[in-house]
Amino acid sequence: MSDRLERELKKALQRVEPPAGFAERVLARAAREEAKSAQPRAWFRWFGMSGLRWAVACALCLALAGSAVLYRHQRQEKGEQAKEQVMLALQITSSKLRIASESVQQISGPEQPVRSEEP
Amino acid sequence: MTSAAAVAASELRFEDLVREHERMVFSIAYRFLQNPASAEEVAQDVFLELFRALSKLESRAHVVFWLRRVACHRSIDYARRHKNAAAEVSWDEMPEPSHRDPHAHSASDPMLAKRLRQVIAALPEKMRLVVILRYQEDAGLEEIAQTMRIPLNTVKSTLHRAHAILREKIGAAIGEANV
Repeated sequence: MSDRLERELKKALQRVEPPAGFAERVLARAAREEAKSAQPRAWFRWFGMSGLRWAVACALCLALAGSAVLYRHQRQEKGEQAKEQVMLALQITSSKLRIASESVQQISGPEQPVRSEEP
Repeated sequence: MTSAAAVAASELRFEDLVREHERMVFSIAYRFLQNPASAEEVAQDVFLELFRALSKLESRAHVVFWLRRVACHRSIDYARRHKNAAAEVSWDEMPEPSHRDPHAHSASDPMLAKRLRQVIAALPEKMRLVVILRYQEDAGLEEIAQTMRIPLNTVKSTLHRAHAILREKIGAAIGEANV
């Protein structure tokens, strides 16, 4: 490579000035990033402020869990009651049917034995 | 914090580093991408990365090496992400070289310099970066190899091929058709 070409390359590739205010924009972005990273996440901040809030959160969790258990228990109880009612209804229906069947038999009289005629 | 680390921290004030190296980082991105807006975006991102990594850097020399390396890699990443945009080169919008650098020479022939920049802009991306680091940053071959994380022999062969292309394209213009 000739010295002339190398010289021309160095001249052609001199550094250029960044646009006006470049450093300020970089510093502003860095400051924003620093401020952002210095802030704890919203939920962490909320809980981090006082122990009372932790207690409130725990109570809420317990209440939710309790409600879920209670709801499940109530649903189970209702199911049992419904089952009992269905069984009772079936028993009543069955006894009514039996009575009706007996009445029908009484009305139609005792059955005659069928005799075969001798020739 | 150890005393050495404290000294390093006091030497590496982010604001000072931005002001000191903004031309270097912007110029690498700009010469590579040939678009001032893209170069600013990349250069800002590079400095933001520096801001995050500052505690890990040990000296001013380390910062310069780190900035060059990250500027090169982010420029390549940006060009690959914005292939179509990077192809839109507006030569008239390109800023002229800065003369703030006391070591800079004044361009003797603006047209020749412009033609050289056009040829460099058309080089393959790694070859372009090798040329930028060699002639803009005045980096040694070993330094280029470390910056670009490529073997020294690859740097040599890449530079050799770049020279061949440049000779072919602008040799006649500088009266060195047979260089």
